[in-house]
Amino acid sequence: MSDFVQSGQLTEAKQALDRLRANMRLTIRGKDDVLDHVLVCLIAGGHLLLEDLPGVGKTTLAYSLARSMDCVFSRIQFTSDLLPGDVTGVAIYDETIREFVFKKGPVFANIVLADEINRATPKTQSALLEVMDRARVTVDGEAHAVGAPFMVFATQNPVDYEGTFPLPESQMDRFLMRLQMGYPEPNDEREILRHARGGYDTIALNPVATRTEILGLQSLVQQVFVEDSVLEFILRIVAATRTESEFRAGVSVRGGVALRTAAQARALVHQRDFVLPEDVAELVGPVFTHRLALARQTSDALEERRTVTAALKRIVGAIPVPR
Amino acid sequence: MSPRVLHRPELSADELQQVRWLLGGLLTLLGVGTVVYMDIEAWTLMVIAAGATLAVLYRPGLPARLPAWVHTLAFPGIVAFFAADLWLKAEVLPAMVRLDMLLLLYRSVTYRRRREDLQIIVLGLFLIVVAGVLTVSLLFALHLLVYTACALALLLVVTLGDGGAPGPSGPVVPGETPAWAQGATWRPLLRRVRAVLDWRVLLLGALLFAGVVGVTALLFLAIPRFQLESSMFLDRIITKKARSGFTDTIRFGDVSEIQQDNSVALSVDVSDQGQIPSAPYWRMLVLDAYADGTFRTSRGLRHQEFEAPQTGTQLRGTLRPRPGEPVVWTFFLESGVSRYLPLLGPFESLRFRDVQNVSAAPRLAVLALRDEPVSMTAYRVEGFDLSPALPDPTFAQAWRRRQETGARTFLQAALPEFSRPADRAALDRALAAATDGQKLPAGEFARRVSEWLKANHGYSLAPVIPGGDGDPLVRWLVSREPGHCELFAGSFVLLARAAGFPARIITGFRGGSWNGYSNNYTIRNADAHAWAEIFDEGSGAWLRADPLAVAAAMEHDTNRGEAAVAARLDRSWKARLDSLRVFWYRRIVSFDQQSQVETAAAVKDAATTTVRALRARLVALSSSLHDWATAPWDASRLLTVAGGLAAAAGLAWAWLRFGRDRWSGWSRGRGGRRGDPVRREAGRWLHLLSGYGAGAEERQAVIADLQRVRFGPQPTWPAPEKLFRRARQAWRDLRRQRSAARR
Repeated sequence: MSDFVQSGQLTEAKQALDRLRANMRLTIRGKDDVLDHVLVCLIAGGHLLLEDLPGVGKTTLAYSLARSMDCVFSRIQFTSDLLPGDVTGVAIYDETIREFVFKKGPVFANIVLADEINRATPKTQSALLEVMDRARVTVDGEAHAVGAPFMVFATQNPVDYEGTFPLPESQMDRFLMRLQMGYPEPNDEREILRHARGGYDTIALNPVATRTEILGLQSLVQQVFVEDSVLEFILRIVAATRTESEFRAGVSVRGGVALRTAAQARALVHQRDFVLPEDVAELVGPVFTHRLALARQTSDALEERRTVTAALKRIVGAIPVPR
Repeated sequence: MSPRVLHRPELSADELQQVRWLLGGLLTLLGVGTVVYMDIEAWTLMVIAAGATLAVLYRPGLPARLPAWVHTLAFPGIVAFFAADLWLKAEVLPAMVRLDMLLLLYRSVTYRRRREDLQIIVLGLFLIVVAGVLTVSLLFALHLLVYTACALALLLVVTLGDGGAPGPSGPVVPGETPAWAQGATWRPLLRRVRAVLDWRVLLLGALLFAGVVGVTALLFLAIPRFQLESSMFLDRIITKKARSGFTDTIRFGDVSEIQQDNSVALSVDVSDQGQIPSAPYWRMLVLDAYADGTFRTSRGLRHQEFEAPQTGTQLRGTLRPRPGEPVVWTFFLESGVSRYLPLLGPFESLRFRDVQNVSAAPRLAVLALRDEPVSMTAYRVEGFDLSPALPDPTFAQAWRRRQETGARTFLQAALPEFSRPADRAALDRALAAATDGQKLPAGEFARRVSEWLKANHGYSLAPVIPGGDGDPLVRWLVSREPGHCELFAGSFVLLARAAGFPARIITGFRGGSWNGYSNNYTIRNADAHAWAEIFDEGSGAWLRADPLAVAAAMEHDTNRGEAAVAARLDRSWKARLDSLRVFWYRRIVSFDQQSQVETAAAVKDAATTTVRALRARLVALSSSLHDWATAPWDASRLLTVAGGLAAAAGLAWAWLRFGRDRWSGWSRGRGGRRGDPVRREAGRWLHLLSGYGAGAEERQAVIADLQRVRFGPQPTWPAPEKLFRRARQAWRDLRRQRSAARR
C-alpha cells in the first residue's frame, strides 16, 4: 500500500462525504460549517463537545449523523444521580447459568449522545471519558469493545451552571473539538418552523454510508500528506500557546496531534490529499479553545471562551503562515 | 481558398542550448584573449582557459565528467588563489584580472544556466574594460566589436530560451550530461541555424548593431571636446537659488523677512592662524546710489571702478608684496551664493584654481565673476590688508576737486532729492539729535551715530517699518522700531551724507565660526551682513562703520589669532560634517598636484606597510610554531597538548550534540530560506495568484496545482516547469484584466 492517498480513494471519499453532508442537510439547515466540522471530527476519529444553549439542534445533529450511517445511536441523559454502571453497563448474576453476565450499557453504540455531561458526578464522567479514550469497557477484568466507529457527542450548557460538575481540563483534552451551534439564520429558521415535527425520533433519514466506509475514511485520514512547513506551523502555534501569559497552561502534546489529525481530516473533507496552512488556521479555534484555561478567574464560562478565542486568534495572526 | 500557413523551421530547445553553449565558449575565448593587449602575467592562465574552453566546445559532454568535488572546491579554491596572489604579488589589478580569468575558466567548463551565461558576459566585460584602459590598438577595437556582437547574440538566445525551453532556468545537476550535450555536432547545427535565420531579422540586427556602434564612435570622438565643468548641464539644473540674496540692490519698504539659512556659504583656510581677525568682515559688494528707498550700485561706480573683465587664473592686487612669507587665505565659495567673491580687503595677489572670467574693482576691494558660478569656486589670496580703513587716494582727490569746483564724482555720495521736504527735515533733526549739533571728524562721527542708532533701534530679522508717506528708510530711522543690518547700514549712510560725509553700503559676511575639526573658517549663509563705510578726508581712506558692532568694526584687531579662534570655536556635529567637506576640498580640489600626489603616496605607503607587517607576522608565527614543535618534549608539555586536544574535541562534540541543532533551529526560526526550491517557487506563484477571489476556471486549476506542488506529496506533483509557465500566463491574464478594468 502506498503512503499517499490514491486518486481513486480520494474520489470515493469525496462521494461518501458528499452523500453524508447532503443527507444531514435535510434536517440541519443552514449550518454547513458546523456539518463540515462534524464530518471532520467523525473521520478524524475524535469526539465532539457541543456547547450551546438548549434547543438549538444539538441532539438533532447527533441523531441525523447516526441515522445517515447504518449506526447504532444511543442517548444518555446525564444527571447528578447517574452512576457509572448506568453508562458502561453492569455485570448481573444470571441464575440460569449461575454466572455474572455483563449487561451492556448505553455506551455500547456507534454514536453516543451524552446530554448535559456536566450534570453528572465526576465519577460517572470519568467512566465515560475512559471509554472515549480506550474505546472499550473493562468490567471484572473483561474488556468489551464498544462499537466501531465510536463517537461521543457530549453537550453542555454554558449558561446554566447551577449544580454542575465542570469537566476538568485533563478530561476536556479527550474531546477533539468543541463546537457551538448558534442560532440559525432567519430564512433557515423559517424553513425549520415550517417543516419541523415533534422529537428527533421522528426524523426519517436513510443511511447513505456504511460503517466500513467510515472506518475506511478514518484510516485514509492518516495518509493525508502534511508538508514540513505546515507541521512547523502547527508546532509554532502550539509553542505560542505555551508562552502566552493569558493562559494557565499551554496546549498538550495530544492537543498538537489532535490539530494535525483534524487538519488532515479537513483536507480530506475538501477533497485534498494534502494539508494546507488554511486547514490548520481554520481548525485552531475548534480544536484548541476547550483545551486552554485562562490564568485569571472568570465568573462566566461564555466570557472565558470568548477571551480564549480572541487570544488564540491573536496568536495565530502573529505567526507567519507558510508560503 | 483558405490561406496557407507557412511554417518556418525553428530551432528546438536542445539546439538553442547548443547555440548558447557555443556562444558562451566564444565569449570566454574573446574574454581571456584580451591578455594579449595587457602587460600582465596571465599567459599561462590564458592558455589553460582557452584550451579548456576549446575542449568543452569540441566535446560538450566533457563537463559531466568533472567529479563533484571540483564543484565543491571551485569557489573556495578560487578565493584562496586570489588571496594568495594578492598577498604574494601585492598588485591589485593583475590579481583581479587573474581572478576574473579563473572564474571564466570555471564557468566555461561547467554547464550554465541563464544566470551563469550572464556572468560570462560580465566577467568578459571586465577584462575588456581593463584592456581598453591599458591599450590603444586597432586590433583591440575589432576585438571589442566581435565581443559586443557575440554578447548581444548570447543575450538574444538566452531570452529566446526563456520563452520556450525549460532548460535554462532548471537546475543543473553536476555529473549528469544534459540531453542537448549528448548529440551536439557543430556543423549540422550551424547549417540549421542558417536555415532558420530570416534575412530580415539579420538585417534588422545588423542595422541596430551598426547604429549602436556608430553612436558609440560619435560619443568617443566627441568626449575629448567636452569641457566637463562647463558642459555638465545637470549641474545647472540642480544649482540652488541664491540663498543669501546678494544682489546689486537693497530695497527698503517692502515687507521682507530674512530667512535664516544655516548652510555653508564659504570655507576659508588660513596658512597662519595668528593672523585670524576676531571679527572678520568678508566684503563682497559696494552699493552707493540711493533713490526711492533703494540702494544700488550706481552706473557711474560700475563703469569707473570695475576694470575690463579678464580671463585667467592670476590676479595682481593693489598692495605691494611685503617681505617675508605672506599669509595665504584659501577660499572655497559654494555655488549659488553670489558672483561677487568675498574678500577681507585689498590684497597682494590672487589665484584661481580654474580659469575664470573676472572683473576687479581694486579701489573698492571687490571682485566679480562674469556669471554666478554653478559649482564651488576656489581661490587663494596672499597678503590681505586686514585694517578697517580702506585707503582710496583717487577718491580723495576727486572729492577734494568736487569740494572746490563742484564737479561731480562718479560715486553717488550725495543725498538724494527727497520727494518730500519733510523727509530732509526729519533727517536733519535726527542728525542733530545724534551729534548734538556738533561738527565732528569722520571717525568720531561714525562712532557717535552708530551708538545713537544702536540705542534707538533693536535688532530683528523681521523689521517693522512704520507706515506713512515719504522715504521708508527715513521713516524707520526716526522711529524706534527694530530692524536688520541693512536698515542700520542704510540709515547710517543717510545720516553721514546729511552731515556732508561721503558714505556707502558694503554687503558681504561678518564673522563665521572656526571649525575645530578641520581647522578652518566656516561662514554660513546666515552670517550675511551689511555695513557702511564713511570717507575720512583727513586720512584719505574709507572707514568701516557697523552700527550693529561699533567697536569691532572700527578698531584695529588686538584680539587676533588664538583668542579669535577660541572665541569662535565650533565643535558641534554640524562642524564635524562640514569638516568632511573641507577635507574633500583640500585633498581633491587642490591648487596643485602636490597634495594629490601626497594622498596617493600615503595610500600606497599604508598598503605596503600593512602587507609587509602581515607578512612579517606570518613568518614570525611559523617560526615560533617550528620552535615550539622542535623544543624538547617532556611530560608536562605532552599533558598540555593532550588537554588542549581533548578540549577541542569536547567543544566539537558539544557543537555536534547541542550547538548545531540550536543553530539550525534558530536559523529556521528566523524564517530562513530553506526547503525545496520548487516548493518555494510554487509558494511564490501561489502568493501572487491567490488573494484575488474566485476567478477564471484556469486560474483556479493553476492555484490547485500550485497548492499541490507547494504542500502536496512530491510523487503526485504535476510537471513543475509547465505549471510555472501556466502560472505566469495566468498572472499576465490577471494583470491584463485588471488594467482593462481600470480603464
